[in-house]
Amino acid sequence: MAQPLLIQPDARFIRDVVDAGGGDLKKCFQCATCSAVCSLSPEDAPFPRKQMIEAQWGLKDKLLGDPALWLCHNCGDCTTHCPRGARPGDVFGALRREAIKAFSVPGFLGRLVASPKGWPVLFLLPILLFGGIALWAPKGEPTKSLEFANLFPQHILEPLFFAISGLVILAFIFGLARFVKALRASGANGSILAGLVPAFVDILSHKRFADCATEKGRYWGHLLTLWGFAGLALMGTVVGIGTMVGMMHTPLALMNPWKIFANVCAVIILIGVTVLLVDRVKDPVKRAASTYFDWFFLLTLAGVISTGILSEILRLSQVAAVMYPVYFIHLVLIFALFLYAPYSKFAHLLYRTVALAAAGKRP
Amino acid sequence: MDKKIGVYICSGCSIGESLDMDKLAKVAQSEYKAPVCHVHPCLCGKEGVELIKKDIGDESVNAVVIAACSPRMKTDAFAFDPAMVQERVNIREHVAWCQKAQDEDTQMMAEDYLRMGIVKAQKMQPLEPVEDEISKTILVVGGGVTGITSALEAAAAGYEVVLVEKQAQLGGFVGTLKKRFPQEPPYTELSAEGIADKIQEVSYHPKVKVLTSARIVKTSGQPGMFDVTIDSQGATSEVRAGAIIMATGWKPYDAGKLGHLGYGLTPDVVTNVEFERMAAEGGIKRPSDGKPLESVLFIQCAGSRDKDHLPYCSSVCCMATLKHAEYVHEQNADAKVFIVYKDMRTPGQYEKFYRTAQDAPMNFLTKGEVKAVEKAEGGKLAVTVENTLIGETMQMHVDMVVLAAGMVPNSADGEAIRALEDAKLKVEKGESDSQRAEAAKTVELLKAHEGTEILNLTYRQGPDLPALRYGFPDSHFVCFPYETRRTGIYAAGSVRSPMDSSHSQEDALGAAMKAIQSVELASQGRAVHPRAGDMSFPDFFLQRCTQCKRCTEECPFGSLDEDEKGTPKPNPYRCRRCGVCMGACPERIISFKNYSVDMIASMIKAIEVPEEEEEKPRVLVFMCENDAYPALDIAGMNHVQYDPSVRVIPLRCLGSMNIVWIADALSSGFDGVMLFGCKYGDDYQCHFAKGSELADRRLENVKETLQRLQLESERIQLTQLAINEYDKLPVLINEFMEQIREIGPNPYKGF
Repeated sequence: MAQPLLIQPDARFIRDVVDAGGGDLKKCFQCATCSAVCSLSPEDAPFPRKQMIEAQWGLKDKLLGDPALWLCHNCGDCTTHCPRGARPGDVFGALRREAIKAFSVPGFLGRLVASPKGWPVLFLLPILLFGGIALWAPKGEPTKSLEFANLFPQHILEPLFFAISGLVILAFIFGLARFVKALRASGANGSILAGLVPAFVDILSHKRFADCATEKGRYWGHLLTLWGFAGLALMGTVVGIGTMVGMMHTPLALMNPWKIFANVCAVIILIGVTVLLVDRVKDPVKRAASTYFDWFFLLTLAGVISTGILSEILRLSQVAAVMYPVYFIHLVLIFALFLYAPYSKFAHLLYRTVALAAAGKRP
Repeated sequence: MDKKIGVYICSGCSIGESLDMDKLAKVAQSEYKAPVCHVHPCLCGKEGVELIKKDIGDESVNAVVIAACSPRMKTDAFAFDPAMVQERVNIREHVAWCQKAQDEDTQMMAEDYLRMGIVKAQKMQPLEPVEDEISKTILVVGGGVTGITSALEAAAAGYEVVLVEKQAQLGGFVGTLKKRFPQEPPYTELSAEGIADKIQEVSYHPKVKVLTSARIVKTSGQPGMFDVTIDSQGATSEVRAGAIIMATGWKPYDAGKLGHLGYGLTPDVVTNVEFERMAAEGGIKRPSDGKPLESVLFIQCAGSRDKDHLPYCSSVCCMATLKHAEYVHEQNADAKVFIVYKDMRTPGQYEKFYRTAQDAPMNFLTKGEVKAVEKAEGGKLAVTVENTLIGETMQMHVDMVVLAAGMVPNSADGEAIRALEDAKLKVEKGESDSQRAEAAKTVELLKAHEGTEILNLTYRQGPDLPALRYGFPDSHFVCFPYETRRTGIYAAGSVRSPMDSSHSQEDALGAAMKAIQSVELASQGRAVHPRAGDMSFPDFFLQRCTQCKRCTEECPFGSLDEDEKGTPKPNPYRCRRCGVCMGACPERIISFKNYSVDMIASMIKAIEVPEEEEEKPRVLVFMCENDAYPALDIAGMNHVQYDPSVRVIPLRCLGSMNIVWIADALSSGFDGVMLFGCKYGDDYQCHFAKGSELADRRLENVKETLQRLQLESERIQLTQLAINEYDKLPVLINEFMEQIREIGPNPYKGF
């Protein structure tokens, strides 16, 4: 007989999951309706029934490395059909938050981002930073037309954001390394490298969203957001490098192909985020399922996009009184979105990719 | 007394369209010379009933035969003086509604039934109820929550009550609890409401006499006149009671037998009752070292639903454990409580408490099988559990293990005690060594019953209530809760069936109502159950008794005692009027004024058995009137046709079937006999506990008779049938008829 599993419930973990939106966790009486109705649950390792009792029992180590947490795309079918109102979908959301938090490096940032009490501190940092730049940074020659660089000089912003990117990448590398260790410990033994391509296909095609979406709005919302975001990320990197090496100069002309591409991406992502936001507010199940962790990420993203578009419009209309404050907000939000990415829901982008790759067999 | 028979035939409800009413009336008028005979289109209507009443008054008709619907119908319309001779002939459900209209066979069937009814009425005598001075005092045995509630309820209804308790104080198990299960909506909070108020109330109730530290020395007599000798605090008193409520509660299952679950391994393995006591007596600490509790594991169904221990579910252990989990968390909110169950069973509203308990963050529940309980490091206990919901074999290291053990009734099995006494006597005075050795074995087997007597009945069939399944003395839990197999003695609370204190209180009320019914009906000389209101009772023509003791042995209710020679001594108030004694008696000396061996035999003779050449077989059908007969009624209501060769005689119980009838039938040319009784065995449905089983046993003797007559044994068939199996009944009849036609006619026809 195999060595029995020594059960040592982690009381703190249970309370954290409950606080993170898994408040109905304990109601589960293990009927497995959830696993039966889930269209994504693999036959050989069905979820979320098993994860529910593991969460009830506070078996943190078993759970956090379980790829099932990320195989779930949070459509809410299980929550809708749960006869006891244990809301497995919400519990999974909470567990994902706990996973991001637990793997984050440095840990205190993970806890700070996860806590509703953390956001004033989180935003104070960029406010002070960009306020300082606006007030005291050495400015270049004023240009003919009004440009953001007049107040926020590019030679400061560019290295700053490259530095942030470096930190973020580092934080992700550490976090994901911990995650992979946990995945391996829990028995997810698929080759990540080999799994990455099918995982990307999965993600970019949104096949799983299409499978599980009880309504199609969320599928389109997420698809547009992801594609728009990917486009903007590509554009940002190209333009960033381009200006650094002196091949490009911002602001780009309105008819510059890159600018057109950027604007199209911005509109796509705006539509996507709006659909997601409306979906969360309109649908009572989704609304109840939405936690601070969800809102922090989604609203920051929505803020970045809307202030970005607004900044561009204001710059083109040369309204000095509002264009700088809006751009300031835009910068603050971008800073928050990126620096906190490894600790916020944003991190699901990478965690899910890795989990899908590591889970091995595709259902 | 001169009998003047009035025959009333109803032609309503399509009976008239189905049968030739004039020909039918001729049977009464010409064949039997009935002085009064009417055919009426709606006998149960006002006009029809008036017609009968007028004849009873003006024409001095004193025996009424009503040929109409089933005797189970229109009982309120045809309610005449209950002492008067009256017989119902079922020509609606059993003839008109289930046979071809205007058919020769249908007409023959109806005429036979009318003949049988008239013949029976000719033989019947008016009833004379017994009349005695009946005590309406109710004796309640056991002063726990059930007994106290019963006493208070009976007293509130105006009856004198004597409450007897073995312990020095009232209160029973509930009196020892820290908290009770939730008592009121929303059923999510434990109740602190104890039993002190009720003890107070019953102690000072003017109609209740409380005897504590008491023991029942002897109970003799019969319902309405039980003479009970009670020893209380050294003083002996005599009480005359009309009915007895047995509320002796339960005891925990012997944990000594639960060594496989760790009991006895360390003091830290306790039972749920021990755990409750610790909680009630100032708090739970780890027994071995007095340390505060940080983790505890409850093993549900410890020795329950287990064929090697208690095979049944006690229905309270799951709730007790959830309650205990709350006790633990009251002391230490962070203490971990593991609960390993087979199934969580929280009946009724208690499901709500279960839900609340599930929400407690430090309660960990799983289905699973406990594999081992062992000592672990740090004075802890390691519990290994297999087949868990986690999907792996798990081990928990805990401070304490609590075994949720089940309830064993505090009943005394009268039959076993008697067998033990008999065996002991045989060990002393046995005729041979082998007999003595056999008896010694019996003594060994039954020694658990030694000294368990509670009521100490002086009944011939043993000193206490016969225990049925699992040692509970309930007699028929589906139809007649509280009833035991001793008339006038009612079991209530956890001695009847495992239950919690709330349920016990409801049970107490039910039993009190039954006890009141019992004394009230006894005071009118009527049966209480299941033939409620029946005024007949068996007469014994003792001059011809051969002291064979079959009746005293077979009576399922112990109603017959014996004198030294073995002659039966009837106790009419103990009797349930089933007629099992009548069926048992080889001398046929037991009869009721309206039900006897002779009456049924005459009915059989009244049936016209066609000659062999006519190719019309006849089969006699004896039907238990509690299940099979109404089932045939239902088949009739559904207009299901069956073979018209059968003639049905309802019996009070198949146990009242006397084999002489079968011999009579076969010798007078019947081609076969069918018997329909209730299910017997562990899950019996017989209203009289043993009736159909006894009938089946008697048929063994009939088989010999058949062999002697060189008749095929297939000509007789006993079928167990439940009332809901009405759809099977016509099929069974048709199949049997087919079989009979295959075998061929009875060679004794026409003899």
